[in-house]
Amino acid sequence: MAYTISDACIGCRACANVCPTGAITGEKKEVHAIAADTCIECGACGRVCPSAAVLDHFGLAFERIPKKQWDRPGFDLKKCMSCTICLDSCPTSAISQSLLVKGSPHLFPFLTDESLCIACGFCATDCPEEAVAMIPRQDTKPKEPAEVA
Amino acid sequence: MTPKGYMGKIMTVDLSTSAIEIETVSPKVYESFLSGMGLAAHTLYHRIPAGADPLGEENILGFVSGLLTGTGSLFTGRWMVTGLSPLTGGWGEANCGGSFSPAIKRCGVDGIFFKGISPEPVYLYVDDHGVRLEPAGEVWGKDAVEAENQLIKKHPNARVACIGQSGEKLSLISGVSTDRGRLAARSGLGAVMGSKNLKALVLNGKKRIPVHNREEIKRLSQICNKWVQFQPPFVPGWLTAPIGALLRILPFVATQDGMLYKILLKKWGTVSMNQMSVEMGDSPIKNWTGSNTDWGFFKSFSSNPDVFIKNETEKFHCYSCPLGCGGICKTKGKFGETHKPEYETVLSFGGFIMNKDVDLIFYLNELLNRAGMDTISAGHAVAFAMECYEKGIISTGHTGGRPLEWGDPDDIKFLVEKMVERDGIGDLLADGVKSAAEKLGPEAQAIAIHCGGQEPAMHDSRNDPGFALHYSVEPAPGRHTNGAGLYYEMYQLWKKVKGVPKIGPGYFKSSKYKNNIHHARVGKANSAYLNVMNGSGACLFGGFLGAKRIRIFDWLNAAAGWQFTPENYMQIGANIQVLKQAFNIRHGLEPKNNRVPDRLLGVPPQTRGANKGRTVDVDTMMQDYWELFGWDRETGHPTEETLNRVASIA
Repeated sequence: MAYTISDACIGCRACANVCPTGAITGEKKEVHAIAADTCIECGACGRVCPSAAVLDHFGLAFERIPKKQWDRPGFDLKKCMSCTICLDSCPTSAISQSLLVKGSPHLFPFLTDESLCIACGFCATDCPEEAVAMIPRQDTKPKEPAEVA
Repeated sequence: MTPKGYMGKIMTVDLSTSAIEIETVSPKVYESFLSGMGLAAHTLYHRIPAGADPLGEENILGFVSGLLTGTGSLFTGRWMVTGLSPLTGGWGEANCGGSFSPAIKRCGVDGIFFKGISPEPVYLYVDDHGVRLEPAGEVWGKDAVEAENQLIKKHPNARVACIGQSGEKLSLISGVSTDRGRLAARSGLGAVMGSKNLKALVLNGKKRIPVHNREEIKRLSQICNKWVQFQPPFVPGWLTAPIGALLRILPFVATQDGMLYKILLKKWGTVSMNQMSVEMGDSPIKNWTGSNTDWGFFKSFSSNPDVFIKNETEKFHCYSCPLGCGGICKTKGKFGETHKPEYETVLSFGGFIMNKDVDLIFYLNELLNRAGMDTISAGHAVAFAMECYEKGIISTGHTGGRPLEWGDPDDIKFLVEKMVERDGIGDLLADGVKSAAEKLGPEAQAIAIHCGGQEPAMHDSRNDPGFALHYSVEPAPGRHTNGAGLYYEMYQLWKKVKGVPKIGPGYFKSSKYKNNIHHARVGKANSAYLNVMNGSGACLFGGFLGAKRIRIFDWLNAAAGWQFTPENYMQIGANIQVLKQAFNIRHGLEPKNNRVPDRLLGVPPQTRGANKGRTVDVDTMMQDYWELFGWDRETGHPTEETLNRVASIA
């Protein structure tokens, strides 16, 4: 299963530039293509496409969403068990870990840089304790580690 | 149909020709052997020919992840290195955690298998654009931590597994490192990697891992985590020794519930056992000749558990582990920090060689992690050298003029540094005690403690006879993680599996040394279950929580979309054992020759200490174990019918 690109594509390269696995190929101003084996269905291409040319696996077109309206992960550090599953699930390695909870020697996750996050939501999907939720962005500059969701 | 849980493919790399292929593996293989250890056993059984040189072209080195890795289950972040061991001449396996296991599956495969020998040092690089062999000249010669740092600088966010100088120098007791010094240490597979001129695997894939029922997996993970997070306050470190002494003195044993060990691990890590195990009679002292009477409270106090967490700046969790038994410790001296030493390292370089100097233990831990050398085997090599010197088998002529004294920190440091360099006496010792003893003659061979070449771990079979059985019968012998009477108590398999022995709430200690058929029944269940855990990528310490708290069988069904019963899974585990045993026989090993040495059996019995007067009849246990598997009672050979049944699956 993978996403596909329709003939509505104008070859602007926005999708290829944001794809975390390099699954999208194509020349400038020509219709691009997604390699099915490499696509991880993160949805980033669909969110940036100005021509609604990216189709999900049901054949439905994505709508463009401005990046500042994308969600980003919020971490509930009370629920978090420091298992690092969210770090590993992030396709852009945007999540790191640090000593964030006073008195605890365990490391906890935080978003290193909001601009790296492509809002795929895999961290939230994969967290076994539902300790990660997708929440609205603050702004695009790096901030303090994320607050409790 | 898209595979679920497992990726359904393996990568094969021919280092002689640089050919790299992706092969599809039939679902039948995963249904019969799972992934991880089972996939490796199946693949290597069929592909490494009889007569292969372990350090030659025909040996295949397999890096495998587990079926449950990356599925949302907990405690399932283990990966394994597998191959024909140059140390034992048979089935080789080494297990490790850290963050490397999911990185294998995110490259789209369940395992990466290397054959051949590269003409120049190389490393394998994999990302979503493809896979290639890169020249490793700039990192060859560097220790495992430096090499990993350099490779991550070049390939940000990648996960690395690599050898240090010991693997490059073909030390038969070297392993493979990840996460800056966590080791897949045993079976000498670091030397196989070095013999292939393969410095590292650098994995940077981002593939998703498909599962059948993510919600069910999460539900089971939440049950498991509730138990892990229950962490009442516990005693200070120095009290662990009196507790061990009490356990030694009491004639009656309460069957161990793994929650107690969980509490110890979460507070301290495996160092929780540093003093307790000595007092209980679990820790071997002075090359298996001593006891707690030679390493009493005031000697072991310097390594009490609180000493290790005093320097701990942060906990270390392997991938998908909610417990976090690891840690990073600040240290004095040139390295500055190290992974918190494990119990095995503390004892191997502590009471086993009569050393009280804990700063030395921290230093050797980092030195050996960086060199990529197994600390258990290295400790045995030092102990062996000390006893040889004491008995006049070696002299200052061998040591370059230095006399050797038990427990002398400078002598120990000297020997280990020489082993890392393979210089002088270090060259003699760097291939383990069996090889060293063969060069020194029969007197040395009598005191070289190994099982088929592999030095056993810091768990005395005179205390727990289950260790004697598993050290002797496991296809990778001499290994403490494969089973023990104590482990079976904690697994509580009888709560989930029909037909396995049930242990009541307590028993008289003396009964441990009788009832051999019970040991073999427990042993068979241990071996099968551990193969299931290793096929899943699960951590032994997770297994210790107990089968009702960590639902391995249910996770497997939810991940893969199967409907296997616990008994089906135990049969899968037994089938994996058949393959590994048959592998050894094909490569010319006789199972009975891996029997543990008499010193570990109380032959003759010790005259003082926790294991005073105890003798273990391992020969009967081994025969019972083989018979329970349906193998020849005298030789341990699987029957032709049994072998054909599992070997015909493709």
